[in-house]
Amino acid sequence: MLSFRLAAREQRRHAARNAKGSRNVGIEAVVMYVSTHSHTESPMTVVTTTDLTRRFGAITALDAVSLELPPGGIVGLVGPNGSGKSTLIRTLLGLIRPTSGTATVLGHPITSPKTYASGVGTMIESPAFVASLSARANLTSLAHLHGTPMRRVDEVLAQVGLLGRDREPVRRFSLGMKQRLGIAAALLTDPGLLILDEPTNGLDPAGIVEIRGLLQAIAREGRTVIVSSHLLSELEAICDHLVVIRFGKLLFAGPMAELLKRTREHIDIAPEHAADLERLATALRDSGWELVPTDTGLRVLAGADRTAALNRAAATAGITLSRLVFAQDSLEELFLEMTGRVDGELAGARASGEGTVA
Amino acid sequence: MLRVVRSELTRLAQRRTLLVWFGLMALFALMVNTVMGAAVGQLDPNMPSPGVSFPTPAELEAPSGLMAGLSAASNMFGVVTLSMWAFFTAQDYSSGLIRLLVAGEPRRWRLLAGKSIALVGVTAVAVTVAALANIVAAPAVAASGISTAAWGTDLPTVIGEAWVNLFLSQLVWGVLGLVIAVLSRSAMVAVSIGVGYVLVVESLIRMVDGAPVDQLLGTTLGAIAKGGTTAVSYSSALALGAAYVIVGLVLAGIVFTRRDVTD
Repeated sequence: MLSFRLAAREQRRHAARNAKGSRNVGIEAVVMYVSTHSHTESPMTVVTTTDLTRRFGAITALDAVSLELPPGGIVGLVGPNGSGKSTLIRTLLGLIRPTSGTATVLGHPITSPKTYASGVGTMIESPAFVASLSARANLTSLAHLHGTPMRRVDEVLAQVGLLGRDREPVRRFSLGMKQRLGIAAALLTDPGLLILDEPTNGLDPAGIVEIRGLLQAIAREGRTVIVSSHLLSELEAICDHLVVIRFGKLLFAGPMAELLKRTREHIDIAPEHAADLERLATALRDSGWELVPTDTGLRVLAGADRTAALNRAAATAGITLSRLVFAQDSLEELFLEMTGRVDGELAGARASGEGTVA
Repeated sequence: MLRVVRSELTRLAQRRTLLVWFGLMALFALMVNTVMGAAVGQLDPNMPSPGVSFPTPAELEAPSGLMAGLSAASNMFGVVTLSMWAFFTAQDYSSGLIRLLVAGEPRRWRLLAGKSIALVGVTAVAVTVAALANIVAAPAVAASGISTAAWGTDLPTVIGEAWVNLFLSQLVWGVLGLVIAVLSRSAMVAVSIGVGYVLVVESLIRMVDGAPVDQLLGTTLGAIAKGGTTAVSYSSALALGAAYVIVGLVLAGIVFTRRDVTD
């Protein structure tokens, strides 16, 4: 218990330092973790980065990223295409060296990846296998590389539901099966930390649901799963924590609940007669309501407790409302607001010198 | 290191690809003996014939004539070996497996060494297949009127020396394929460069008066396979071949350990 308190205190200290250091990010990064998971002999943080920067020529792929990821649960690493997710993952795995800054994985510095390689399971971009070999042969090859007992091959094949298909060449596998095999490969060394780069990429909705279920099952075993995606909608249902980056900069890092607090409430309204829309908007603005037009009417930025007052304001203006619906911004909307709604914004920013890669 | 080698050997066990490798080695051994049987004596040993260097009738009638096919087609075998080493090396890049391998074994030089050792093992098998095919096909030479009476003399030594010489020459060919594949990350590019150099560039250089033909790769490897020639002694050829291997492996090692493997 004492050690947990000390750990929590240390995490809060790091969080405060991190938040302080990220003020120039634009949207303040919040890093505040106290893990609810118990993971035997796990370090206080599975990943810690301090001002981690990676440049490719004139392009800054990672821009002074400082974060701490707690052990246990599923951490979603989200950002638009080209935001720096893959660069962050590759840097953490020691595949590329940072331009500046430091980082640790499982308590070991990334400058010495061999010290933590066996504790980290990875799938980088797409699952990579020798297509002409069977799933079993591919895993056996990797098991030899890691020095893993051969029984683990059977165990992970069973875990991802491929035990009956394990002697077929991988080239006959569907994309979903290949993704599952990739996750099986990541699990071979029985790692405490899994880092999976876009494991749902290219999958149909059923495949995405299947992978989500698999990731949840893996996390329930006490492992930490870091999973990246360019779509928050793919991850929001399963993530305990979220890291959002854009143009290589950290926009948010914290529990999902923390991000949910940032979503705004609003009331969507529409007049009975469409011709009254302009008059309704003018009347509400004059009364001090904050609103934005929508395709079907108006969106009033107000909480549920203002619904009756809004209705009265419309009635005072002599307008009957045919629609009055309270709602809350979805996480996806918040995410898009943080990261840019269209790839065009990224393209525009890249052209202006803010560009990123990977 | 043993676990890296075992890992590589497991991935090399691609039945179809190995069949192509061993099949081509056997095919070339059969072909060269068939051609020698049909036309020996009519073929000029000094005739510019890319990839093949035919023996004289006197060489064929010697005890080592039984295995003459191996040295005659050593450069053709070499092209196959280069291609296969390049294929298996570049496959790690084309499949994306290299990222997983490097993440699993960050000491990259071990990966390179493990792959080289595994490929050396498979090359030994391929050379054995070629030697066996040669022994089976060699009697065809007798059809041209060549005396094979001396062929049984000191048979183990003759076969052993021919095997070792071909094996050593194939190792240099293989390392060449590995090096070009590491540099280019493409089997096609590696094969094109290797084959193009030996079959085209070296042939063109030979046409230039005063060119240092004895130091050329093809000449050196041919001399190793033959156990030395009048132009290049066996020891000189071995030394030059070893130099090619060392320089190649050092170059591949530097590039492989330093280059970003994720793009």
